[in-house]
Amino acid sequence: MMETVLSIHKLTKNFGKLCAVNNLDLEVKRGQVFGMLGPNGSGKTTTLGMLMGVVNPTSGSFSWFGEQPTNLTRKKIGAVLEHPIFYPYLSGQKNLELNALIKGANPNNIPKVLELVELASRKDDKYKTYSLGMKQRLAIASALVSDPIILILDEPTNGLDPMGIAEIREIIRKIATDGKTIILASHLLDEVQKVCTHFAVLRRGELMHCGPVDEVGKGEEIVEVQAYHDDLSILLKEFIGSASIKKENGIFQVMMKDNFHSQDLNRFLFDKGIVVTHLATKKKTLEKQFLEILADASSTALK
Amino acid sequence: MLHLLKIDLKKLTSYRTFWVICGLYFLTLGFTTASGMEILKWIASKGAEFGTSININRIPLYHFPDIWQNLIWISGLFKLILSVMVVISITNEYQYRTVRQNIIDGMSRWEFILSKILTNVLLSLMSVGMILLISIITGLIYTPEIEWTYFFTGMEFFLAYFLEVFAFLSYALMLGIFIQRSGLTIVLLMLSHMIEAIIKLNLFRESLNDSIGWMKQFFPLESITNLVPLPFARYAFQEIQDHVSLIAVGIAVVWTFLFNYFAYQKLKRSDI
Ligand SMILES: Nc1ncnc2c1ncn2[C@@H]1O[C@H](COP(=O)(O)OP(=O)(O)O)[C@@H](O)[C@H]1O
Ligand SMILES: [Mg+2]
Repeated sequence: MMETVLSIHKLTKNFGKLCAVNNLDLEVKRGQVFGMLGPNGSGKTTTLGMLMGVVNPTSGSFSWFGEQPTNLTRKKIGAVLEHPIFYPYLSGQKNLELNALIKGANPNNIPKVLELVELASRKDDKYKTYSLGMKQRLAIASALVSDPIILILDEPTNGLDPMGIAEIREIIRKIATDGKTIILASHLLDEVQKVCTHFAVLRRGELMHCGPVDEVGKGEEIVEVQAYHDDLSILLKEFIGSASIKKENGIFQVMMKDNFHSQDLNRFLFDKGIVVTHLATKKKTLEKQFLEILADASSTALK
Repeated sequence: MLHLLKIDLKKLTSYRTFWVICGLYFLTLGFTTASGMEILKWIASKGAEFGTSININRIPLYHFPDIWQNLIWISGLFKLILSVMVVISITNEYQYRTVRQNIIDGMSRWEFILSKILTNVLLSLMSVGMILLISIITGLIYTPEIEWTYFFTGMEFFLAYFLEVFAFLSYALMLGIFIQRSGLTIVLLMLSHMIEAIIKLNLFRESLNDSIGWMKQFFPLESITNLVPLPFARYAFQEIQDHVSLIAVGIAVVWTFLFNYFAYQKLKRSDI
């Protein structure tokens, strides 16, 4: 069993009448890249704000590393919530020195993290002269300066151009391969799918779904087949593993039943004397899964 | 503690506005207090030209022990400049939202407030140190015959002065934390004395000298002013209070505590 780094128990935050986070239960284990997925306003930032001590919870509790949270716990976590926050009149370097001073981190880490986010050449310029992409990268650097066990990133690619997005994701992947636990809040499905190992879906402050990313689409395999054979569609329907069949651009898409895979289909066709020219396994995308989860939730809510 | 002070000073020492305002404060404060005697001489020489002679040696402004209370009272007028710096320092933290990041990075809310309070202590001590130095130097220059028994008389005014500056900076800090916007806070800070005067006027309208007049000394800003009473009336042969009143100190200490306590409670309860 992997060690639990964060455990949230019935966490709730009301802003007046608005319930931003409702009875949230979650667990994050060491080494996970945990995605918090949800549309804007679903309570991701508010949740992270409570975890980092800047938003006072209405009720519920949470623990980091199995302990009651204090400000000392927060020193072991690197976090950027919503927007990069720095002193505009200080240089990037000075800002990081200040972060290190507050966190009690070794200032010798600063050149290393500046190198990682590729800001070393601009470190002595004032923060207010930075582009948005540079600000986001400095924020990641500041979160890493204490060499934290856990990294929390909230919409780290928000507002960036495709180049900037690609750079940030590359940095996150680099950090993840270092074995750090990462919590990533995002409203972007493909971001979570590309970088996360586990994910939770939030909607209007409620937890809709929680699980590993690679389990998404389990038993819901789609196999693409192409072959020079006139009766291919009839044969595919005969195959006991096929749940349904669609044709798109001359390629058949076979939705597989549970426990049937592409190799079973291939063997079946081969036995019938057909050699395929194209065979590919497609997992259902997280987007479909995500929309289904949200649709599921609203239809059950209606019932 | 020193660690927290170091954090707050690191924010300020690379901030140009900090140097501008502190420079302005310490320069005007130093210049005014150090040059009073020269100004008086200049006025006297002008007066002589017009046939009225003032014997400035009859006014022992800069003689021990008068000098302590005189210079300290004058210095107290300048604390408003310093309090503007305190307001800017705290409201910046809200405007840039850096208070949020400081907490996220691992400061507790108490540590955050304490770092600001410690800077206030430092600024107050620097004011005291500067005036102490200037009074000693100018006192040695201008006192005709120094009697060492007089030298230490009235030095308790420096304690009162420290409290006066620190109390007012605490008030500025609290105001900044409640209002969070620099312009509005500074305006309110400058109007504070007037607002308090209006309130007192309305409360005590019909009873200026009677039974409840003594309650005035409990008002926050008045309690700060009462620490160092105006000394100059003594040169017009009037009776003045030439010592620090313990009751005034007590009231000011309680207010100072409350200012910082309210500031902490406000920060503790708010989502930032
Ligand atoms: N300080 C606040 N005061 C009032 N409402 C807030 C505050 N912060 C967030 N909210 C509301 O709480 C809800 C959740 O917001 P947020 O946590 O920022 O969502 P997300 O990060 O998922 O986009 C939103 O409806 C938002 O308007
Ligand atoms: Mg958000």
